[in-house]
Amino acid sequence: MAGELEGGKSLSGLLSGLAQDAFHGHPGITEELLRSQLYPEVSPEEFRPFLAKMRGILKSIASADMDFNQLEAFLTAQTKKQGGVTTDQAAVISKFWKSHKTKIRESLVNQSRWENGLRGLSWRVDGKSQSRYSGQIHTPVAIIELEFGKHGQVFGIAFLPAQRGKPSCKDTSSSC
Amino acid sequence: MEGSASEKPALDAKSEVTNQLIDFQWKLGMAVSSDSCRSLKYPYVAVMLKVADHSGQVKNKSFEMTIPQFQNFYRQFKEIAAVIETV
Repeated sequence: MAGELEGGKSLSGLLSGLAQDAFHGHPGITEELLRSQLYPEVSPEEFRPFLAKMRGILKSIASADMDFNQLEAFLTAQTKKQGGVTTDQAAVISKFWKSHKTKIRESLVNQSRWENGLRGLSWRVDGKSQSRYSGQIHTPVAIIELEFGKHGQVFGIAFLPAQRGKPSCKDTSSSC
Repeated sequence: MEGSASEKPALDAKSEVTNQLIDFQWKLGMAVSSDSCRSLKYPYVAVMLKVADHSGQVKNKSFEMTIPQFQNFYRQFKEIAAVIETV
């Protein structure tokens, strides 16, 4: 029944589900799951366009990273147009964005990061070290373990400070 | 980003595992827009490490940090620098 869709009560839950699916990469949030959990009296045929509309609105808001002025203007326009949203629904959407904006934005930023991210850093300073392959003794040396990316790839580096304890070195003519 | 010692295994200083740092390059970037978010406005620090492995082969390793991650990274290195002075 159309009346079920117009209210705001289940909409909050729906927006959460949509956000989990679209932004936070949570698997298994299907149209049928959302319908049966939140709008059980609504038929799938009626639910589908409603869901698409709400998803579209949420994605527009998130993609533009709307501030509260933009949000107000956008939602007001949505309430005025044919096939838009009710004022109740607009209020629920507004409240949802205000409380979830930061987290959604964080997820969107992460989706746009393709380089290795730095997940962790550990370090140790050794007073003296000697390598099997070089006869030299370097004192002191900092050994740093960098943990990259989503799969915890670990990358170790050693750096030997130049004189006066400063880390080396941009000058390719000096031996590092 | 975790910074200090954790339950992870102790750092292994074997020369097969540890690469020697030759050069450190950085870039401060601003991601303006992407397919997932038109208004991204995300500043980041990108780092390119040039290292030599145990065989002497030089390779590059690049990675990216958010500003808070970079601030932690910088703080760690300041600590290293301070400790290394005392050794």
